[in-house]
Amino acid sequence: MENSTLISIEGLKKYFLTAGGKFTALNSIDLTIGKAEFTGIVGPSGSGKTTLLNIIGSLDSPSEGRVIVLGKSISELNVKQAALLRRTQLGFIFQSYNLLPVYTVFENVEFPLLLLQLNDNQRRKMVMESLEWLGLTDKVKSKPAQLSGGECQRVAIARAMVKKPEIVLADEPTANLDAANSHNILKTMVQLNKEFMTTFIFATHDEKVIGYLRRKISLVDGKVAKDEILNN
Amino acid sequence: MKLLFKLAAKNLFGAGMRTWLNVIVLSFSFLIIIWHKGLLDGWDRQAKNETISWETGGGQYWQSGYDPYDPFSLTEAHSKIPSSFDTLLSRGDIASVLITQGTIYPRGRIQSILIKGINSNQKLLKIPSSLFPEDGDEIPALIGRNTATDNGIKTGDLITLRWRDVHGTFDAGNIKITGIFDSDVPTVDMGQVWVPLDRLQKMMDMPGEATIIVWNNEQKADVRVAGWSFKTNEFLLKSITDLIKMKSVGGIVLYIILLSLAMLAIFDTQVLSIFRRQKEIGTYIALGMTRGQVVGLFTIEGSLNSVMAGLLAALYGIPLLAMQAIHGMSIPGGSKGFGLAVADRIYPFYSLGLVITTIFIIMLTTTIVSYLPSRRIAKMKPTEALRGKLQ
Repeated sequence: MENSTLISIEGLKKYFLTAGGKFTALNSIDLTIGKAEFTGIVGPSGSGKTTLLNIIGSLDSPSEGRVIVLGKSISELNVKQAALLRRTQLGFIFQSYNLLPVYTVFENVEFPLLLLQLNDNQRRKMVMESLEWLGLTDKVKSKPAQLSGGECQRVAIARAMVKKPEIVLADEPTANLDAANSHNILKTMVQLNKEFMTTFIFATHDEKVIGYLRRKISLVDGKVAKDEILNN
Repeated sequence: MKLLFKLAAKNLFGAGMRTWLNVIVLSFSFLIIIWHKGLLDGWDRQAKNETISWETGGGQYWQSGYDPYDPFSLTEAHSKIPSSFDTLLSRGDIASVLITQGTIYPRGRIQSILIKGINSNQKLLKIPSSLFPEDGDEIPALIGRNTATDNGIKTGDLITLRWRDVHGTFDAGNIKITGIFDSDVPTVDMGQVWVPLDRLQKMMDMPGEATIIVWNNEQKADVRVAGWSFKTNEFLLKSITDLIKMKSVGGIVLYIILLSLAMLAIFDTQVLSIFRRQKEIGTYIALGMTRGQVVGLFTIEGSLNSVMAGLLAALYGIPLLAMQAIHGMSIPGGSKGFGLAVADRIYPFYSLGLVITTIFIIMLTTTIVSYLPSRRIAKMKPTEALRGKLQ
C-alpha cells in the first residue's frame, strides 16, 4: 500500500537555547515516510518525538538539515505558505484534543473547511460525512464540555480528517483516554488510513498505539535508534 | 475578513457573561456620552434661540459709542435713529432701544438698574411691549420675573424711579409695573426695567434717539450706516458659544473617564483571553490560520464589543433619550442667578453627527485597545501555545 514518498528528512538537527546553553532536541535525523503509512515515532519523554512532529507539521523549523513535506521544504516556507500547507494538506490530532470550547461538534469539525472557504452545502456535506465515519452524528449540537474524553478525541479526528488531508499528525492521541476508548480510536484511524490512503504519523510512547503501527521509528536522545516495519 | 468576523462573533457570544459585562459597561459609556453632549447641544440651541427671540433678533446696530461692558459709555451712546429705518420701525418689524442707567426704590431699598426704552409697536422681540398702556400719568414699565422676585415687586406696583437726563440733571417719577414677563434670558431680566421708548426719550430729552436697533434679518443688514456699527449674531452670542465650548471641554474629562473604564475592561479581557486561550491560539495556527489572521480575529473580537454595546445602548438608550428629548430635564431655578441663559427645562438635542461621531470614537478606541494586547500573539511560538504554555 505504501509507495510514493511524502516526507523526506535529511540531516535534521534542532537546537533550543536554554539557560544552561544549547539543547539538542533532534540530532542528524534521516527519514522518508511514504503515502498511506501508519507510522509511529516512539520514545521516552524528551526524546524529540513532538519536536519532529511539529517540524513535519510546519509549526516549527529545522535548525539544520532539510525537511521536505509534500514537495515543500519546511525551512524555505514563509509564514503564509506554511499556514497554507497546514490548512490544505495536513491534519492535527492532539493529546488534549484542542477543540474550540465555544463551538459545537459540528462547528469544530467545520472549522478547517471555513478556512478553505468552501460553500455552505459543501461544508455541511463534508462535516456530516466525517461525523458519520466517527459515529458522532447524534452529537452534532453538543459542545466539547458536554462530551466524554473519547468523544472529544473522535471529534478531533473528524476535524483532522474532514478535509481529507494527505498527512495526519497525531501527538499522543490516546494519552488521555482509557484502554477501551484508545482501541476504538485507533481502530477508527486504521480504517480511515486504509479507506482514504491518508498517512498517519504518531508521536507516542503508548503500547496500545504501538500495537496498531505498521512502522515504528524509535527515537532516543534526538536520534533514530531503530526504524522497523511491524506486522500489524 | 468575513470569516474572521463570523468567527469573532461566535467566540464573543460563546464567552457569555464576560462579553456581556464588557458590553454593558461600554453601552453605559455610549449612552452617557451621547446624553451629556446632547444636553449641552440642547442647552446651546435653546439658549441661542431664546436670546435671539428676546434680545438679539437678526443682529443689532450699535450706536458707535456703545459698549455694554462700560456703563460710563451709556451717557454718550445715543444717536438719532437713521431715517432709513423709519418704515420698518413704524411697522414694528425692527425694535429700537434706548438704554440709560437709573435707580429704583422698591420697598425702601435702593436698586441700580438699566432703564431700557423700546418701541411699543415692535413685533420682533418677545419683550411684551404691547402691555404698555396708551396713556397714564405714571411711566408704564415691564420687568422680568427674576427682578420682580428679587425685589418683591408685583404687577400694578408703583415704584420710584430716578434717572439723569441728557443734560446731567437728576429727575424722578413713579413707574407702574404693567407686566411681569418670564424669560430664560437673564440679560433682559436681571436689574432691568423696560419702558416705552417715546417716554424714555422724553424723560432723557433725547427725542428720536436710540442706543441700539435690533434688526430682523442679518442677511439684509446694511453694514455702512453712519454712526452705527452692525453686530452679527455670531458676535452677540459669542458669550453663550464660549460658555458651551467651555462646558464641552469639561465634558471631555467625563468622556475620558467613562471611556477609560470601558476600555480598561476590554483591555483586561483581551489580555486575559490571550493568556487563557493559548491552546486555542495554537490550534488556530495548527489548523491553518496565520498569526496575522489570529491577531485580526482577536482584534475583531474585542472591537465587536463596541458594536454590541452600540446595539444594546440603542435598545435601552433610544427610549430613554427620546423621552428626555420630549419632556426635557429640569434645571434648578438658582442657575439664572449666575447670569446664564438657562431655561427651567433643557431639552437635549441629539444630532446624527453627535451619534455617528460618538460611535466612531468608541469603535476606534475599542479597536486600538483590542489590537494592542493581541499583538502578543504574533510573537507566540505555536508549538508552545498548543501546549498552553505561558509565553
